Amino acid sequence: MNEEYSALYNAILEGDVAGAQAGVQAALGAGQEPGTILAEGMIAAMKEVGRLFEEGEFFVPEMLISARAMQAGLTILKPHLLSSDVKSAGKVAIGTVKGDLHDIGKNLVALMLEGAGFEIIDLGVDAAPDKFVEAVANGGADIVAFSALLTTTMPNMKVTIDAIQHAGLRDKVKIIIGGAPVTQEYANQIGADGFASDASRAVSLAQSLL
Amino acid sequence: MALNHEAPDRCPMQISFTPEFASLLLKDLKMGADKLHNPHGGGNTYELERALGEDLLLTSVGWANSYYQGAENYVDEWGIGWRSAEYTTPYGNGYYTEINQHPLADDRAIDSYQPPDPTRPELYHEAEWVLKNFKDEYWIVGVTVTTIFECAWGLRGYERMLTDFALNPDLAQRLLDIPYRYHLTAAKKLTQMGVDMIWIGDDVGAQNAMIISPKMWRKFLKPLVANFIAELKAINPQVKVAYHSDGAIYPIIPDLIEVGLDVLNPIQPASMDPVRLKQDFGDKLCFWGSLDEQHTLPFGSAADVQAEVQTRLQTLGKNGGLILGPTHHVQLDTPMQNFWAMTNAITQTPYPKPKSYDRGKPAGIPAREGNMK
Repeated sequence: MNEEYSALYNAILEGDVAGAQAGVQAALGAGQEPGTILAEGMIAAMKEVGRLFEEGEFFVPEMLISARAMQAGLTILKPHLLSSDVKSAGKVAIGTVKGDLHDIGKNLVALMLEGAGFEIIDLGVDAAPDKFVEAVANGGADIVAFSALLTTTMPNMKVTIDAIQHAGLRDKVKIIIGGAPVTQEYANQIGADGFASDASRAVSLAQSLL
Repeated sequence: MALNHEAPDRCPMQISFTPEFASLLLKDLKMGADKLHNPHGGGNTYELERALGEDLLLTSVGWANSYYQGAENYVDEWGIGWRSAEYTTPYGNGYYTEINQHPLADDRAIDSYQPPDPTRPELYHEAEWVLKNFKDEYWIVGVTVTTIFECAWGLRGYERMLTDFALNPDLAQRLLDIPYRYHLTAAKKLTQMGVDMIWIGDDVGAQNAMIISPKMWRKFLKPLVANFIAELKAINPQVKVAYHSDGAIYPIIPDLIEVGLDVLNPIQPASMDPVRLKQDFGDKLCFWGSLDEQHTLPFGSAADVQAEVQTRLQTLGKNGGLILGPTHHVQLDTPMQNFWAMTNAITQTPYPKPKSYDRGKPAGIPAREGNMK
């Protein structure tokens, strides 16, 4: 990791919002390229957060505060990214399926994807199939991601995939799923492109599909 | 328990239901009911549980009773707002109740917050009635689940509570204290009244790992759980304590044993291996639950269900120490034939006498290690 971004990087790892904001300001002030600040100071930090989570050292609170620090920095950096034409890693429309209101997992996946440079369309909870269809048809989503916590809402995963198929959009988008009762086997059964068991692995999966 | 001076002829059983499944079951059994069924036990008539041959009767005091209060939006007595979320299954529709309003989302609301009063006599009328009518024949469980963390995040907001742990530990502690005090008062009262077991707990496990780190759990929750158990056992040294957490909580099981836990619940098998749990902790803990509701009960065949019952009896229940049943309330997506396959397998499988069984022990005083009698 580049020494110039270590303050920003560490602020994100520690969940230090003020430190992340200061880190971005300092880097911009020193004339660093926005794209490099993003890549070296922020995406690299969130990659480390993901690794720590997969290793069982970071848990949900640590991920949340790191992601918030990253987001705080990103808010300052965004206008500079747009004006310097930095491309996102891809666009992901994410939500929990119709009937399911449990969003901590979905929120973590959204945060981690954003931390990896993806652009997020957050469809929220209890998202009807047509919201996902809309995100592909008009929203430019490259990936559609949805989750369910409950066995009773899981069936809406297939309903959502069918809706995308029915709209003639299935080959225009990659579909990834997750959630406590969901398995790789289930993903295969319903025709999803991938399954991830946690937010960090969701990032690797999204990257591998695009 | 239902066992009066005799060795258990089969494994003790406990099953709870969502209100919709309870309705379906009552119809199947040709029994009527005019009250909304409470999955946690408070206010139930227990006809259903007794008709099935369950061995434990649950009576609940505290925030857990705020679940499943109705199909319309409501605000409970803690100020927490609820809405219903409908779901459909091949066997009918139902609704869950989900929180949509947190009274302590704003830091400034905490100082002036008044929780409900846990000493109101009417809170304990059901427990009184259950004990009076069923104490001799059933294992009576006083339920004060959602004991600390869950009620606290209900008040505060889930993500906010989790970030409070990391960024504002003093505030987090104050929030945890609110439901802790309430439920401890209630559990002490239930213990004084004579329940056989108190059931506490909070969901701190996700599917594959803990939600908060073991370190964080030990810092914020372990001292409270330790004191909770100590105060109950000071009132009645024979009272048993069961702890509920969904998901994978393996790292804190030794801690729970250390602070005096007797029974671990619900043993979500897709998250923690029952065989490994028995191997590692079977001499120090009893287990309650273990029949899978993420895969087997809703999606397996009746034969799969029966096989899982037998497997648990032979492993998790070897030499006793098991209260068998589904890990969570039975939902409408469990086919009725799977439900009956489960209950019949449990009630009809003879239970080999545990090695350590002593015929001379009077009923109602179970050994701490292994055997629940």
